[in-house]
Amino acid sequence: MFLALKEMARAKVRFALLIGAIALLVFLILFQQSLQNELLRSFVGAIENQTAPVLVYSVDGQRVVQASVISPDLEAGIRELPSASEVGRIGQGTFTAATAAGLFDATILGYESAAVGAPTRIVDGRLPESVGEGIASDVDEKNGFGIGDTIVLEPSGYQITIVGLAANAQLNAGPTVFTTYDTYAESVAAQNPDAGTLLPNVLGVAPVEGVTDAQLVADVNEVSLDVDALTRADAADATPGVSQVRSSFRIIFLLYGLVVPCVTGLFFLIITFQKANSLTLLRAIGAPAGRLVAALLIQATIIMVAAFGIGTLLYTPVTTLELGGLTLRFETAAVIIWGAVLMSLGIASALLAARRVLAIDPIDATTGAGVGR
Amino acid sequence: MSNTNAATATVTGTALELTDVRKVYTLGDGSEVVALADASLTLTSDEMIALVGPSGSGKTTLCSIAGGILSATSGSIVVGGEDISGHSAKELTKFRQEKVGFVFQSVNLVPFLTARENLLVVDELGRRTGGPARERADQLLEELGLADRAKNLPSQLSGGQRQRVAIGRALMNDPALVLFDEPTSALDTHLGEQVMELIRQEMKTRGIAAIVVTHDERITHYCDRSVHIVDGYLQS
Amino acid sequence: MKLALLELVRRPGRFATAAVILTLIAVLLMFLGGLLDGLISSSTNAIKAQSGDVIVYSESSQASFLRSRIDPELRSTVESVPGVESTGGIGIVQLGARIPGNGPRDLASVALFGYEIPPNGVPDIPADGEVWADEVLKADGVRDGMELLLGPARSPVTVIGFVKDTTFNGQGSLWASPATWRSVLADNRPDAQLADGVFQALIVVGDADPAAIAADIDATTEDATESFTVPEAVKAIPGVEEQQGVFNQIIGVTVVIALVVIALFFALLTVERTSLYGVLKALGAMSRTIFLGLVAQATVVTLVAGVIAAGLVLILDAIIPPGAIPLDVSASRIITSIVLLLVAAVVGCSFSLRRVLRVDPASAIGTGS
Repeated sequence: MFLALKEMARAKVRFALLIGAIALLVFLILFQQSLQNELLRSFVGAIENQTAPVLVYSVDGQRVVQASVISPDLEAGIRELPSASEVGRIGQGTFTAATAAGLFDATILGYESAAVGAPTRIVDGRLPESVGEGIASDVDEKNGFGIGDTIVLEPSGYQITIVGLAANAQLNAGPTVFTTYDTYAESVAAQNPDAGTLLPNVLGVAPVEGVTDAQLVADVNEVSLDVDALTRADAADATPGVSQVRSSFRIIFLLYGLVVPCVTGLFFLIITFQKANSLTLLRAIGAPAGRLVAALLIQATIIMVAAFGIGTLLYTPVTTLELGGLTLRFETAAVIIWGAVLMSLGIASALLAARRVLAIDPIDATTGAGVGR
Repeated sequence: MSNTNAATATVTGTALELTDVRKVYTLGDGSEVVALADASLTLTSDEMIALVGPSGSGKTTLCSIAGGILSATSGSIVVGGEDISGHSAKELTKFRQEKVGFVFQSVNLVPFLTARENLLVVDELGRRTGGPARERADQLLEELGLADRAKNLPSQLSGGQRQRVAIGRALMNDPALVLFDEPTSALDTHLGEQVMELIRQEMKTRGIAAIVVTHDERITHYCDRSVHIVDGYLQS
Repeated sequence: MKLALLELVRRPGRFATAAVILTLIAVLLMFLGGLLDGLISSSTNAIKAQSGDVIVYSESSQASFLRSRIDPELRSTVESVPGVESTGGIGIVQLGARIPGNGPRDLASVALFGYEIPPNGVPDIPADGEVWADEVLKADGVRDGMELLLGPARSPVTVIGFVKDTTFNGQGSLWASPATWRSVLADNRPDAQLADGVFQALIVVGDADPAAIAADIDATTEDATESFTVPEAVKAIPGVEEQQGVFNQIIGVTVVIALVVIALFFALLTVERTSLYGVLKALGAMSRTIFLGLVAQATVVTLVAGVIAAGLVLILDAIIPPGAIPLDVSASRIITSIVLLLVAAVVGCSFSLRRVLRVDPASAIGTGS
């Protein structure tokens, strides 16, 4: 401990630079973790957090709610399924909404049955009960989508009053309002006078007692090749863009994650080489090898803890930021997991240098060979 | 390259003239340490002296001041006709490039340069004459018996060979004065004698003055005279 | 300087460590940059390619085709604005395309455009029922002459050739006559169908400054329209500005990390070489020479790292299946990344300047005694 701390105190600049570099890396990793989580949440939160365990798209919709259209034939076929206990229409429209806070791209999701299609995580207020009411994504409360607020769809002027707030209920990274199917149909007609018959985009389906979601998915897919059924979780993952986001971030995290142990490992390797003579001297006068390795690991631990702490401190204020509609949050789970991963990697990388320390032969003190040769 | 520096020394007669040179260090607590006290020393143009004294006696300080590596607190230093007493750091740098040769005790050669390249270092850092410098380097290597080692790295040379390369480098800029810091400390008796003979021969044939700092009484007889220094004072 | 480069060549090992880390960071910069470029271009190429000066949407549409509609009356108002030479209608419908040879649930995502004024790189309007296809659709199996069935109504269109760099919203685009587009829209999205003569947006060709024309149009229609110059329309596409902002910030912080890493490693290297520097200074080297040598080394190491990283990123680009990640590796992005790293290298080196200045030539004498 004594050795470890003394060395760090004597060589403040290099240790400070190392801690600085790692702290910045930690910050970036945590920030991007928040970014990824929020991106996914805001794109498909509404799909994951609604009551229908199974969602049925048309194959042509390619797992995009708005692009999917369920024809009357398909709907009839699905309603007749013995394994389906509840079938409800779900429609999606994207409109320009005017609120007290300005103009927004708002998604309206109309559900026919609250059992299959309403948001699951209601944090305030209630579900809509009559036409003209809606429950909005909670993060958009400050954008004029709070309880009691009225939003006006442009250019038709159709109004919806917000009566509740739901968590993780966004679709397409924008304000999302769940309404009853009637309200939704009215808004579509108002916005596009040329519109023909309104068909639902997606059906929400729940299985009867004893049938699993997977079984229901298979049964629905049997109805027709034009139909694409997925569990709610799969529907979220299969939404176009989601896998791209995940794959992209995977590569990013891998690279950043690799940089951390590389920097610490090589740092310790270099400074061990540099103090080869003093280390050899210490061994010659009787310091046990284990003690020297321990000093190394203590330094590595101090550095990683300090760097992670600073990185997390830098990360915290950033999590209150709003980036283009994305409200970031402090991802505690991510902090804990990354903390464990990065710290183990950092400390483990110092073991490379430890091997060198253990290889020192005290006799070299007399000949001056040291660790370097 | 003509022996301009040595020639000047011959004309003026002295290679080095130290007059009342003092070097005082002030420690952190305010107290003063006198490393060199009122040193006066004169070297004629081809004189080779041994500077002898125990560790901490100030011999390194005196050498450093004579070589323009260290500034004196007071006193006058004239090397090869040039008064360096009041030189700025930049002027001293130039002075060292052109007029002084050093053979250090250790960390002598640049480890990643070949013997030949080590000789060319001074030219590279300073005047960059290019062709003439390369010719001189080859010539010196030849004279020092290292022609076949020109392309070797220091790690591939024996201790004695490394010492010779260092001597060659010291002679590259045709200095007025060469300073040898413990040239034989890392060598056994036989090798040490060989090196001292070589040094004497090179210095005398070229007519270059030299100070050999040493505490090894075995080699002082290679020099014209010995000057002793104890606790910062030159013994006359 | 020559000395420093010789050291680099003769002793590459000690620089290798910094080079490895810098390569990783360079790959990161190029990957992040390529990702940003890919995201933006796949979203916006179709707009960028427009050959007109101004794009006109209807009010409150927030620069979104799907929410905009321009009827013939509004169009003639726009055409009456001085400075407007001609207008071309444009409309879009996004659906899944069934491609011969692919499985029944294996559709390709396409954006079908009906156009009047050809965008850059797109030939004249094809006959009804025919389309030009963006070449990204080749990865989905689309070939010249193929008949694709679009949407749930299985509207048939025949591919008569390929165009490039016209993707929209991450989808491959198909370019057709207004009539084709209109009928496909009506057959497949009855709730979004548009009457004859109605388009979603107008491409305007003008004879004056585009920004001025855009302002004039909105003024003349009394804000019933929202007009953008083409570059503005690109930026107005939802997400574009935010993506650029976020990515550039991440790239910026990564460059700072590179700077700190270089500062760190060169500080360590300098410490190792203090005695060498002492000897060099004693022999007559100026601090400036030594420091420039350091900068030269940092520059070369960074360049090498950059070149290796460029190679790695190109390999990465080649092995990633098309469509899996929107990566667009361009020469300008690679060069920008390397330049940023070089700046970081030079600045990072300067941390060692003080130490180099402080090396005392007198330290060369008497070491070991």
